[in-house]
Amino acid sequence: MTDREASMSAPSPAALAGRIHVSPVQLILPAGVVILFTGFALADHRVMSSANLINILQQTSFLFLFAMAQTIVIIGRGFDLSLGPTASMVSVGSALAMAVLGTGHAGEPVIVLAGLAAGAVLGALVGVFNGSVVGFLRVTPFVVTLGSFNIATGIATTLSGGHPVQGMPELFFQLLSTGTMLGLPAPVVIAIAVGLVIHFVLRRTVFGRGLYLIGTNARAAEVAGVPIRLILMSAYILSSVLTALGAMILTARTGSGEPSIGGTLSLQSAAAAIVGGASFSGGSGSAGTALLGSLFIIVLSNGMNLVQISGYVQMIVLGVIVVAGVLLDRLRAQRS
Amino acid sequence: MTVEEADMRSSSRGDLRALSRWISAIGILPVLLTVLILGMCIIDPRFSGVANVTNILRNASVLAIVAFGQALVLIAGGFDLSVGAIVALASEIAAVTMRWAGTAFPEQDALIIALGVGAALGTGILVGLVNGICVAVLRISGFIATLGSMSVTLGIALIITNGIPVYGLPQSFITQFGRARWFEFPSAAYVAIAILLVLAFVQRRTVLGRYLYAIGGNSEAAIVSGISTRRYQIAAYVISGLLAAVTGLLLTALVGSGQASFGGDLMMLQSIAAAVIGGVSLHGGVGRFGMVALSAIFLSILSNALNLLRVDSRIQPIFIGVILICAVALDEIRRRRTVHD
Repeated sequence: MTDREASMSAPSPAALAGRIHVSPVQLILPAGVVILFTGFALADHRVMSSANLINILQQTSFLFLFAMAQTIVIIGRGFDLSLGPTASMVSVGSALAMAVLGTGHAGEPVIVLAGLAAGAVLGALVGVFNGSVVGFLRVTPFVVTLGSFNIATGIATTLSGGHPVQGMPELFFQLLSTGTMLGLPAPVVIAIAVGLVIHFVLRRTVFGRGLYLIGTNARAAEVAGVPIRLILMSAYILSSVLTALGAMILTARTGSGEPSIGGTLSLQSAAAAIVGGASFSGGSGSAGTALLGSLFIIVLSNGMNLVQISGYVQMIVLGVIVVAGVLLDRLRAQRS
Repeated sequence: MTVEEADMRSSSRGDLRALSRWISAIGILPVLLTVLILGMCIIDPRFSGVANVTNILRNASVLAIVAFGQALVLIAGGFDLSVGAIVALASEIAAVTMRWAGTAFPEQDALIIALGVGAALGTGILVGLVNGICVAVLRISGFIATLGSMSVTLGIALIITNGIPVYGLPQSFITQFGRARWFEFPSAAYVAIAILLVLAFVQRRTVLGRYLYAIGGNSEAAIVSGISTRRYQIAAYVISGLLAAVTGLLLTALVGSGQASFGGDLMMLQSIAAAVIGGVSLHGGVGRFGMVALSAIFLSILSNALNLLRVDSRIQPIFIGVILICAVALDEIRRRRTVHD
């Protein structure tokens, strides 16, 4: 941690340029994805079937959205433990909004719009809460989000009564799950579009650059006049809204609003973000690393499923991979 | 403490200010705990019944022991997400070992129990050692190292038994230890108190204790002063693993079977909540075990009270979340004030 900090504390233009430059170490993960995929494809021919390829794409899209949400706060040297329960809360909340409106005379488009808005607002509320306590009260993100983890869990189970919520209109499923565009399923199209937007926001806006600076060196950011509180707050809001979007897509896929949909998403999203190359020391990570990390984890678990490795063994493999991924990250940091 | 006491004496800024300083010096926790206990005694007579108090003490002891280990790691500037998984694995290893020993050495309960306890404690130490080496030698952040080992440990626990509870423990382990009450108090409480005394001694009187605070407070200063930080960081994780294994044993003896479901996220998150509400700082270098014990009692009483008052169990996490954030925000404000003074 500390030596990493020291090496990151003086961001020079050269260092920033170095981030764009591709070093051999940075190719390890993409190479890993390719090798894994080829290995599994040789072991089981079903891996290459078009149904499975679409499946991998869809699963990667879900995880990608959550990994991006996690990456955004990690860039600012934060962490969001409440991501999973937020997803649960949004799933239940938006489904409930649509189910309640569905009993009235509102048209399907209105109901779906209302549901999406309810989900986005619920997500944004969590972001406002996390962001304001982290930004203004300066409480460690881990504890803040552990608190909101509990609160969101409580709200999700209370709203739903512990049961799945059903009764969403057909249009909702079409829009977020079953529909296709250019032959690609809706979740994939949405993930690509959102990924491009987030990439732009992080790289080319005052907000994005400020966030990297805060994560790299908060004191330098303060001296440079970066509005730290505002940017941290926006980062948590953006992150939670992305989580909300992911949650609604998952809801459309499962067909009901589930209080258990968040499950292990908090840690899974963190694993994807970190394996991809974001660092808990802050200041690194991007939409690209989130995509890479998600793809790696999904290819791995999809392959293990197909060659029938037990779920328990998969947990062990995933644990080892996460630690190995971070060792790799240290290697990367030392090279640059 | 002494700095704050000196501050209190020199301050002459009105009674309200003095009161708020007094509360911030001892912390809000003892006040909240007293109010909660008095309130519940008045509202519900069942609260102070023997059965209920035993129940509270058992829960608080189990939570406190895991939280002590978590606190130790936090004080040394680390993080231990694997405690819940260790509880699960230790429980299963103990049960499987005792079941095996029961067939190998029938009727020799003392030997069977000793083997089971030894295997469980060994498991805890081993996982702690792996965590410590990952953090201190490979220099992976504690969060990630223990996130990884949590997944691996839980995976192993589930493979061993396929998630099915393991029975076949010697009856004496359950009746004379797990469910026993000695002088009216549950056995777990004695274990927790013994551990608390040892830790308090370690913290105040031993090199290990002082060095852990030094490392967590300012690791660079500790290195410059010639402290072998690696060895002590590893020690912190090993002790945390050991204490989690003790918890696993207590739960196994209480329930009468080894179960993978003892651990998991809930235990881990609760241990962090207990440590943090007890004033242990996530920045490292700050924390007292007595306060952690108090905080474990507080959390146990709170959930017991919410149950007695028939608050929906689904709403209960909201209370804990709000209290957690308030406790830490207060701590943060207090810290900033002392820095400014």
